[in-house]
Amino acid sequence: MPDDEPFDLAGCLDRVRQRDQQAARELVEHLHPLVIRIARSHLPRRVSEEDLAQEIFLKMFTRLDQYQGAVPFTHWVSRIAVTTCIDHLRAQKRRPELRWADLSETEAQVLDSAITSENDVSPDDALEARELVQKLLDQLKPEDRLVIQYLDLEQKTIAEISALTGWNPTLVKVRAFRARRKLQRFYRDLTESERS
Amino acid sequence: MNPADKSWEKLVAAARRAPARDESAPFGFSTRVAALAFSQRDPGSSIFARLSLRAAAVACILAVAAVAANFSAIKGALSDDAQTAAPDDPIGEVVDMGS
Repeated sequence: MPDDEPFDLAGCLDRVRQRDQQAARELVEHLHPLVIRIARSHLPRRVSEEDLAQEIFLKMFTRLDQYQGAVPFTHWVSRIAVTTCIDHLRAQKRRPELRWADLSETEAQVLDSAITSENDVSPDDALEARELVQKLLDQLKPEDRLVIQYLDLEQKTIAEISALTGWNPTLVKVRAFRARRKLQRFYRDLTESERS
Repeated sequence: MNPADKSWEKLVAAARRAPARDESAPFGFSTRVAALAFSQRDPGSSIFARLSLRAAAVACILAVAAVAANFSAIKGALSDDAQTAAPDDPIGEVVDMGS
């Protein structure tokens, strides 16, 4: 399929419903960036992003007959992806406590500079900063982690998060408030573990 | 904004600047997923599964109805069993033999 042609989602869905495997492949290719972004940002330990993406797609195909068109198809798929990730994260049960000693040398330097320096973190340390942020978010409950991920990292609005998750805006705000408080506590514990 | 918030803001701002990773599907991924999806959505097996579920539900209803229709007979049989079982008390017999 040429890249410059707009993707005919409705037509593709009709063909998938008629069991056209080529259309199913096109649908997977089209939705892969959306699904892999969600899978990567809520990836449980010991699960590969590819396995998680495959599980999300299989759920999408299984439930395709239930899609009524009430919400945009991408939102519907996002909700399946989010629910699948949250289920996996819940199954982990234990969230490891992050200590200063668990950080790599570069991550420790980046965190130290974020805490002590007035300047922003160097753009060269962006990858380490992303790893560090993910490690901090790993300590939160799956739902809290998701809200902070969307708000702070992806800079989505409350309305957008509500559409992507299916949670009402008040619930998103409450979860964001609680998540920030917990994150502050983890952050304080982490910096204190450096001093001790 | 407290110092923790400030350093968190700096960290996430840096994390946002991290280069985007490749988001295209790996080679063969879409083919594998489409094949798996259609093997799962085999209409023959889904009809069989649906009919099996219906059969199980009907069987449950029939079982409950049979118990309800014969409730008095079952209750009577149980009470008869209790009455006939009472004299067959081996421990009581052993105690009686001892006294």
